[in-house]
Amino acid sequence: MNNWQRQHPAAILVSFFQGLRQLIVSFVVIFIFGSTSGGMRLLYTAGIMLVILTGSLIVSAVSWYRFEFRLIEEELQVKQGLFVRKKRYIRRNRVQSIHINAPVPQRFFGLVEVSIETAGGGDEPEFTLSALPVEKAEQIRGELLYGSEKEEIFAGEISSGMDQALSEPVEEKPRRTWELGFRRLLLAAVTSSGVGIAATFAAALLSQLPQFLPDWLLGIALGWIVQSSLVYIGLFIVTVLLLAWIFTILSTVIKYGQFQVTEQNGELFISKGLIEKKQLTIQQHRINAVRIVQNVLRQPLGYCAVYIESAGGGTKDEDFSTILLPMCKKSQVPELLETMAPDFAFTPEFHPLPRTAVRRYMIKPLIPITAGAAAASYFLPFGWLIWILLVPAALLGYLQYKSAGLALSDRHVFLRWRTLSLEEAFLPRPRIQSVAFTQNPLQRNAGLFSLHMSVLTTVTGKTFSLKHTGDDQKEDVMSWYSYQNGSPNASDIDRAHAETVE
Amino acid sequence: MRPLPDHSLAPELLRVWRISSLGSTLFLCIFPLGYFGASLLWDLPLWIMYILIGGVVLLGLFDIIFMQRWKWKRWKYAVYEDEVELLRGVIIRERVIIPMIRVQHVDTRQGPLLRHYGLASVTISTAATIHEIPGLKEADADELRDSIARLAREADPDE
Repeated sequence: MNNWQRQHPAAILVSFFQGLRQLIVSFVVIFIFGSTSGGMRLLYTAGIMLVILTGSLIVSAVSWYRFEFRLIEEELQVKQGLFVRKKRYIRRNRVQSIHINAPVPQRFFGLVEVSIETAGGGDEPEFTLSALPVEKAEQIRGELLYGSEKEEIFAGEISSGMDQALSEPVEEKPRRTWELGFRRLLLAAVTSSGVGIAATFAAALLSQLPQFLPDWLLGIALGWIVQSSLVYIGLFIVTVLLLAWIFTILSTVIKYGQFQVTEQNGELFISKGLIEKKQLTIQQHRINAVRIVQNVLRQPLGYCAVYIESAGGGTKDEDFSTILLPMCKKSQVPELLETMAPDFAFTPEFHPLPRTAVRRYMIKPLIPITAGAAAASYFLPFGWLIWILLVPAALLGYLQYKSAGLALSDRHVFLRWRTLSLEEAFLPRPRIQSVAFTQNPLQRNAGLFSLHMSVLTTVTGKTFSLKHTGDDQKEDVMSWYSYQNGSPNASDIDRAHAETVE
Repeated sequence: MRPLPDHSLAPELLRVWRISSLGSTLFLCIFPLGYFGASLLWDLPLWIMYILIGGVVLLGLFDIIFMQRWKWKRWKYAVYEDEVELLRGVIIRERVIIPMIRVQHVDTRQGPLLRHYGLASVTISTAATIHEIPGLKEADADELRDSIARLAREADPDE
C-alpha cells in the first residue's frame, strides 16, 4: 500500500448511483409539480435528464481517475480534485473513529466504504473512500487505529466477507459482546418515537393524493366527506397514524437489525443494519458523555436507549450522537456500561429542583396553548375545545418538574430532564468545556438559574441544559466545576498581568 | 458565595456599540420607507407611517441611550490562574466559567470601528465553545491574550 493507487473502478458507478439518487428526487419533484401545472413537454424533460446523466457519469469517471491514495506509516495520504488539486494527509493520532459500511451499490461488487472521522477541523469532519475491497479497508483501519507495530496480525486474516470485518487485531483480553436480538429489536421498533415525524410525512403525502385520483372518484369522496366530515377526518387521522407507525417499525428494523456491540481492549465495535451494514469503531476514552433516553412509550415498560457522545461518529438521524444500546432494560444500564463504557457506570441519585420551580415549568407549556385556544375559539366553530388541551399541558409541565434533577459525584455531573422523553446525561468534569449559568427576569424573581454545560461532539459542541435550578444547586455546581482553589482574589490577577508585562 | 467578576470593558467600547446600534436603527428605517413607497402606489393612510417612524425613533433612542449603557455596565470579566469567568446580559444574565485547561486557543480581533478607537476583542475557544470579550484597549487585549495563553499552557492537562 506504499504506492499511490486508485479506488476500485466500481467507485465510478457508486458515485454515479449516488448522483442518480439525488436526481430521482428532483425528477419526482419535477414530475409532481410539472404535471399539475399543465402539459410538460416529456421529450424535452427526457433530453435534459439524458444530458445530466451523461455529464455526471463523466464527472464520476474523471474524479475517480484523479482520486489517488496511499497508506504509509500511520498515515493516509490522499490526492483528489478535478481542477484544484487537494492533498489531504490524515495522521493516526488525529483519527477519532472509523466506519466501515457496505451500502447496497457497493455490495454488488463485494466492496465496502470507509469513512474516517477526524477531530474538529472545519467543515469537513468526515473523509470517505467509497469503494474498496474489504481487505484494503481493514488494512487502512488497522494502520490508522493501531499503527504499524500490530500490522502483521492483519496479514493472516485477509479473507473474505463482512463477517471478518469485525475481526480484532489483538487477542489479549476477552471480547464481550452485546446483541440487540430479535425480541428487543421488535420492541424498539414498536415503541420508536419516530412516529410523529413519519406521521407528518404521511399526512403530507396523503393530502397530495387527490391530485392523482380521477375526478369522478374525487367527486364521490368529497361528497362523503361533506356529509359526515368528522368521521372522515377521524378516519384520515387514524390512517395516517397507522401508516406512520408501520413505516417507523420497518425503518427501525432495517436500521437496527443485527445490532451488535463488542468491547475489546478499550475499543467499541458497533455494527448494525439489515440492508446497509454499518460498522463503527470507537475508542472508549474518546467518549465525552453518555445519554439515556426513555420515550413515553418505553418508560412504563422500563426500557430505554443509550447514546454516546464523542468527537467522531454520530449521524444526523441520531441527533449527532452514536447509539450504543438501542433498547435495553433501564435497570441493566449500569451493568452494561460497566463493560461498554466503564467511566460512565453509575446509578445516580438525583436531587429534585426547589419547589419554586414548579410554577416556571408548568406555566411554559400553558402559554402557547392559551394563545392558540384563544385564537381558535374566536375564529373556529368548535375552537373552544382547544382549551381542554390546557390539562395535559399543565400535567406535562408538572411531570417535567418532577423529572428534572441534578446529581454530583467527584468526577461526574448527572443531569435529568424531560421534554417529552425522559433523558439523563452523564458528563465527566474533564470533558465539560465550559459551564454557563443564565437567569431571565422571571427566574431572577424566584431565585432560579439555568445550567448549561458544553461538551465536544461531532463537528461542533453540544450543550446540555437544566432549567430552573436553585441557588444552592448553582453554587454547588460552580464550586464543583471551578478549578480555582478557594476564592480567587484580585492580587492573583494583578500578578498574572504583571508577569506578562515583564 | 463566589465573588462576581469585577473587570470592566474599555469605556470607549460604549461609543463603538452606540455607533453600530445607530447603524441597525438606520436599517430599521426600511419599514417606514417601504410603507411610504407602498403609499405612493396604493391609497394607504399616512398615519401608520408616522407611527412606524415614531416607533423606530423611540426604539433607536432607547437602544442607543439606555440599552447599550446597561449592556456595557453589566459586562464583567475576570481572569484567574485556573479559569476565565464572564458575566453579562441585561435581560437574561449569563455567567460563564471557562477552565484554563480547556482553552484551545486565544485570538484578538479588530474590526475597522474597533481599530479606530484603539480597541480589540479577545476570543477564547475551547473544543466545544467560543467566547468573546468584546472590547478592551489594544494593549490590554494583547496582554490578556498572552496571559490566558500562558496560563492555559501551564495548566495541568491531567485533571
